[in-house]
Amino acid sequence: MTTVDARAVTGVAARVRRDPALAAAVATLWLLLALFVVYPLAMLLARIFWDHGELSVAGLASVLTDRHQIRAFANSLLLALFVGVFGTLLGFLFAFTAARCRLPRAIVSTIDASVLLPLVSPPFTTAIGLIFSFGPRGLITYGLLGIKGFTVYGMGSTMLAETLTYFPIAYLTLRPMLAAIDPNIEGMALSLGASRRRVFRTVTLPLCIPGLANAFLLLFAASLADFATPLILGGNQFPVLPTQAYLQITGLFDFRGGAVLSFVLLVPALAVFLLQRQWVGRRFYVTITGKGAGQTPFDSVAPGVRWLLLAACIAVASLIVYLYALLLYASLVVALGANHAFTLQHYRVIFTEGLKPIHDTLIIAALATPLGGLYGVLLGYLVARKLFPGRRSMEAVSMINYALPGTIVGIAYLIAFNDPPFVLTGTALLIVACYVFRYGPTGIRTTIALLQQIDRSLEEASLGLGARSGTTFRRVTLPLILPAFFAGLGVVFIRSMTAISATIFLVSIGWTLITVKILENITELALGPAAAFSVLVVVIVFVVIAGIGRALRLLRAQGAPPVTSMLGGWSRP
Amino acid sequence: MMQAVGLRIDGLSKRFAHGVKGEVYAARDVSLDVQPGEFLTLLGPSGCGKTTTLRMIAGFERPDAGRIFFGGRDVTDLAANDRGIGFVFQNYALFPHLSIFENIAYGLRVRGQDGDSIIRAVSEVMALVGLSGYEQQFPAQLSGGEQQRVALARAIVIRPRVLLFDEPLSNLDAKLRVQMRAEIRALQRRLAITTVYVTHDQEEAMAVSDRIALMNRGTIVQVGTAQDLYHRPASAFVAQFVGRVNMVAGHLEQSASVSALGRHFVLHEIPPGVASGDPVRLVLRPEGFALSRGPIANGAVAAKVLSRTFLGEKIEYELDCLGERLQSVRYNAGAGALFEEGETIALRCTDETVIALKEENP
Repeated sequence: MTTVDARAVTGVAARVRRDPALAAAVATLWLLLALFVVYPLAMLLARIFWDHGELSVAGLASVLTDRHQIRAFANSLLLALFVGVFGTLLGFLFAFTAARCRLPRAIVSTIDASVLLPLVSPPFTTAIGLIFSFGPRGLITYGLLGIKGFTVYGMGSTMLAETLTYFPIAYLTLRPMLAAIDPNIEGMALSLGASRRRVFRTVTLPLCIPGLANAFLLLFAASLADFATPLILGGNQFPVLPTQAYLQITGLFDFRGGAVLSFVLLVPALAVFLLQRQWVGRRFYVTITGKGAGQTPFDSVAPGVRWLLLAACIAVASLIVYLYALLLYASLVVALGANHAFTLQHYRVIFTEGLKPIHDTLIIAALATPLGGLYGVLLGYLVARKLFPGRRSMEAVSMINYALPGTIVGIAYLIAFNDPPFVLTGTALLIVACYVFRYGPTGIRTTIALLQQIDRSLEEASLGLGARSGTTFRRVTLPLILPAFFAGLGVVFIRSMTAISATIFLVSIGWTLITVKILENITELALGPAAAFSVLVVVIVFVVIAGIGRALRLLRAQGAPPVTSMLGGWSRP
Repeated sequence: MMQAVGLRIDGLSKRFAHGVKGEVYAARDVSLDVQPGEFLTLLGPSGCGKTTTLRMIAGFERPDAGRIFFGGRDVTDLAANDRGIGFVFQNYALFPHLSIFENIAYGLRVRGQDGDSIIRAVSEVMALVGLSGYEQQFPAQLSGGEQQRVALARAIVIRPRVLLFDEPLSNLDAKLRVQMRAEIRALQRRLAITTVYVTHDQEEAMAVSDRIALMNRGTIVQVGTAQDLYHRPASAFVAQFVGRVNMVAGHLEQSASVSALGRHFVLHEIPPGVASGDPVRLVLRPEGFALSRGPIANGAVAAKVLSRTFLGEKIEYELDCLGERLQSVRYNAGAGALFEEGETIALRCTDETVIALKEENP
């Protein structure tokens, strides 16, 4: 190529001419991102800071001086702090036990399965289980101990429920990290004379600190954004920001107040997100030399400690299994705590009166899942492999809805799409779009991570053998990034079935969701149908995820880089 | 300096569960006696049990049977941290979160030494391995060779009773490998630490060791100096693993001779258990042949050059001699002394260059 030619192709027009498919894809993605990410957020900010044609901070000031709201803010932070600390500790306990105690595979898989239950169910299922156990007519407080008037509602139970719900995230982040530590490094410390305890304190733990910090931030953000658990368990005693914002909008129809409250939530959420990317991201210790990590690890845990750790894990896992078993039981008896006669009445109810939310949820999930999967792979591929102006900012913008708490996204969509030019409120399209742009980013991240592991020379080899770029993509790249596509499908599907914090603002008479129906049932104290709905969701998610996992195993190209877990790229509820 | 101690292992065995074959022996009845201050190498192909044996000596693996003694003291039941060993891993296993100084000081801190003596000891050993000035760097900032030195310094600073190396040079490039092995050998001599070294590279083993224990399929097949293994291999496996060989079949005749390659070889040593008329294998090293142009006379046989590989300092020829394919190597004696492919030349060999082995699969 001559110098003149090279100068010519730098023009946008020339680029478009050279690769029209790329230009079309990039333009479409930007349009969609502008409409479903940038526009709603801009409208939210406008609603907060734009008052009768002029810039104003009065709305914000009124919240920041309201003692009740300040208390909600403080509660939110306190709750997130506790959930972050306890969840990380619990996650580390499980990760360490699984990675270092040389347990039989069967035990590890059993623990895995029970720990992952909370990740595939609606975020408030543990909360329902706690009410069944410790509520006014709870099996344990009332039935077993005969305590009358015990109050399950408040900070303690909210914290417990959120910790149990979210610690699996910490487990999923920490376990691969522990497994990646070269066992020889610990063996080396041991051979230099350090005791097992000292090896743990001076080598294992320091190497885990970035992972622990990362897990803490993830849990902090998850708790900060969680809306359903505090709504059910917090009661009047324990208001937090997301529930306050929700009540402001659904109770008082005060959109501006809700927007302002959700904006207050944005500050810590954004801080966490930036910390995670900038600070933790750089502190992971890279493996220094590649070879030699294959040796069987030595006994890094003393036998006594090993049993202790295992016992602790089994205790927590049992608690989770107990809560879910209770849910199943509650769905099959007339009224838990009062009448334990077997009945299928609750299932009859959900499949008659409750058929609409089931029907709507499945349609929405069926639309959002493939679209979200495709969106993730496409955007991830373009950002990781194609050179076009603004690809870094495209990646950053695509992450916004994923990083923001659901309450903010929900309120922003509500405000943006209620008025012309884009009136979409109450449509299935809006809910689908919300899921695609909120949970699709997991697929983007997985795709980028996967492509970084696949050497570019593979594609160059294909081009060198005479294949055109379309053929190269189809024959070489696509089979290798297929796992990311399926991981994206899995996450979008799980969240489409279980999420509530954003979409509760978007449901309407025309389109409603199972999770919203469960919440209604709980507030109406129709706990039987709520339990039956929850069981149904868990079953559907398990079946579909098992199906996707099977398809992934069948279709995965030999030697394609593995995707750690479909839930590894976990996103917020 | 701690008094050098001997190392004795007695009947060590280790079994592993294997997915297909069930239980397999990684090491089977391995016994060794390492003298105080001696440098002994466990040599063998991958999967021969050398690393497992080393890890049992270190205390990373528990033997299923057998005992381990350091200077007469039974350490079999001691954990790795109570054995007083220095270990150098193939991938160095440096602590990525600690500075070079702290990496090397780790073992001293564990031993509760005071700050001043730690600084003194670490500085001394860093000077010894040529790392002075690197104190505040981190492992990821160092090259492979430098990391190797840190691993070495960290292992010797605690003055171990036994120093153990697990393929320490295999992550380095060829030139650095040769340099580092000389440094390791010199350092070991100077400190007189009893050393067990694992490698699959026979040249490396010969270069550094006082003695070599050659392992195959979990057992030791021969122990001896490099010359012992090279000149008096106990089996065809040893002969083939240490150096390159040509194997020629023959029968032991009267007067301890074997006829092969058109001449009678008179054996200076008859392999044990071989009687007249039994089949034997003759081992001929590629460098043992004398090749020349000129008439085929005076005990020479004709050999045809099948191929030539020019390596600079030496030239390898593949020859056909009376139907036997022979590998031969010759130092470069100048451009005019090269033989051409297809050329017929005279090949001579002497009785001294031949080793007879009992035929293992007659």
